[in-house]
Amino acid sequence: MSNHDHDHAGGPRSVPAGPSSCAEAATAKEAAYRIDYPLSAARNTRVVALDDEAERIIRSAALLDWGQARFFSITDPGEVLAEVGGSDLPLDEVMTDTNTVVMVATSGENATAVAAIGDLARERGIMTAGLVVTPGALTSDALFHLRPHARILLVPAEENDLIELLRATRA
Amino acid sequence: MLRTDINELLAQAGPGTPMGDLFRRYWQPVLLAEELPENDCPPVRVKVLSERLIAFRDSEGRYGLMDEFCAHRGVSLWFGRNEEGGLRCPYHGWKYDVTGQAVEVPSEPAASNFCANVKLKSYPMVKRGDVLFAYLGDPAAQPPLPEWEAYTVPDGQVFTSKRLQECNWLQALEGGIDSSHVTFLHGGNLESDPLFKGSKGNEYNKGDLKPFFEVVDSEGGLLIGARRNAEEGKYYWRVTPWVLPNFTMVPPRGDHPVHGHFWVPIDDDNCWAYSFDYHPTRQLTDAEVAAMRAGKGVHSANDASYRPLANKDNDYLMDRESQKRGENYSGIEGIALQDSSLQESMGPLVDRTKERLVATDAGIIKARQKLYKAVKALQDGVEPTGNRAKDQKVRSVAIVLPADQSFVEGIGEAMVAEPAKPHTSV
Ligand code: FES
Ligand SMILES: [Fe+2]
Repeated sequence: MSNHDHDHAGGPRSVPAGPSSCAEAATAKEAAYRIDYPLSAARNTRVVALDDEAERIIRSAALLDWGQARFFSITDPGEVLAEVGGSDLPLDEVMTDTNTVVMVATSGENATAVAAIGDLARERGIMTAGLVVTPGALTSDALFHLRPHARILLVPAEENDLIELLRATRA
Repeated sequence: MLRTDINELLAQAGPGTPMGDLFRRYWQPVLLAEELPENDCPPVRVKVLSERLIAFRDSEGRYGLMDEFCAHRGVSLWFGRNEEGGLRCPYHGWKYDVTGQAVEVPSEPAASNFCANVKLKSYPMVKRGDVLFAYLGDPAAQPPLPEWEAYTVPDGQVFTSKRLQECNWLQALEGGIDSSHVTFLHGGNLESDPLFKGSKGNEYNKGDLKPFFEVVDSEGGLLIGARRNAEEGKYYWRVTPWVLPNFTMVPPRGDHPVHGHFWVPIDDDNCWAYSFDYHPTRQLTDAEVAAMRAGKGVHSANDASYRPLANKDNDYLMDRESQKRGENYSGIEGIALQDSSLQESMGPLVDRTKERLVATDAGIIKARQKLYKAVKALQDGVEPTGNRAKDQKVRSVAIVLPADQSFVEGIGEAMVAEPAKPHTSV
């Protein structure tokens, strides 16, 4: 048992339950008691390419092994998306049962489609992220079209950032 | 999430480790200048990058940083006598100069050249501003002296404090990069803290609680821009630079001094937060320095060994009433302890395979990636960035820009530190 005769501010303490009842429990030994169980991967991330070069990038990412991530490309006006290795689907359907959309742009084309995704994401509370893959360029149409619609942007992003982002967020 | 092997690779900076090799390409803060206040003052133990060292200041004011243990029989030189141009081991009287060279071995005959062959490993240490920086790497790869603006301004324009943080350095660094926690964890401090309150920027902060983020790659690291709505057609940007490997700066508020941090590994389980406040164009006022000493702003109230008075032994003086009233979002007093209490609670090295990162963590994801790449590149013989003047002469910025502008281009030269140039702040 740890020594608990020091004062804990903030009023009476609840049941003194040994070392873990205090911030002193932040040791490597105590960290080992962090319980272990499978984390659900319920993100259902949608990755959307906004132009041809972006499509090439997401296609190569799509070859890797993912939990529930799905990969699409879109063109104006953005009512329909083509799934990589699959068929065409309406935007409304693609944006169902997802909580994260990652948009990839290299050229700034298809601004209407970006806005269509952004508006629907706002309405449905879907998190949006954007990768502006414009090597060496800080200013681009791709940036300005994505800016109102992506909560977080990587500028300029590298191709590999897509894979890193998806891995880190367990997509 | 992050694989366990990469987590350990990034977090552990001891001698011979990949991240340790990277850290040994940079000058790092190792002491506050106040810890060696005068010639022949008591020596100070330093543990940094998992190396145990002793620091002292000799009779001529030269600084020494060397192996803590006497070459003779391994006594800690902390017990030593700092006298007449060297540090003398109290056991058998062997004496060393600031380069670690033995200059006297009293048990040997007077004419003996024995001591010429006895040298403790030592490292260069220099005073910049109110901090002592040391370089623990290969002398052949030693970079130029540090050029951080905070440590090139005239005396009286900078104040640095340090505090022990009882967790791995990477957790602390990630807090400095993670701009999305500020609205929550530190939300209560904008109005109350004397070192933040009263700026126009605070209004924008409060007016838009859901900032957008842009993470911009830079040569020296990253620029993390948090964007909020300002007047019609304009955005209020707060831009946080991260410079490899462990330097972050907080965007300024009004004419308050600007603050930032170095997150310096002590060992695998602990780090020092070196926290500075400086003003590029004026002296800090007495009131500001008093507030900093009292632990306001990014500083903390500490004991004599720089451990915060609110620490894990006393549950960081958690105040549930204040938490309930909303004065302190977490119930912990002060920005520094709000951060470190939570980062320490993760454990000495958090298991990053269990994380549930979200898209707004992209800055952290990118920073880890850049660190990893720098480590790998160094293994292939490619020198890192972040240790050159051009990377270090960076400023954090708070600015209102037209909506259709890249924040980096909109800020332009305002991000480059130059002597006596006013900083860009809102
Ligand atoms: S909400 Fe971020 S760590 Fe809990
Ligand atoms: Fe913080």
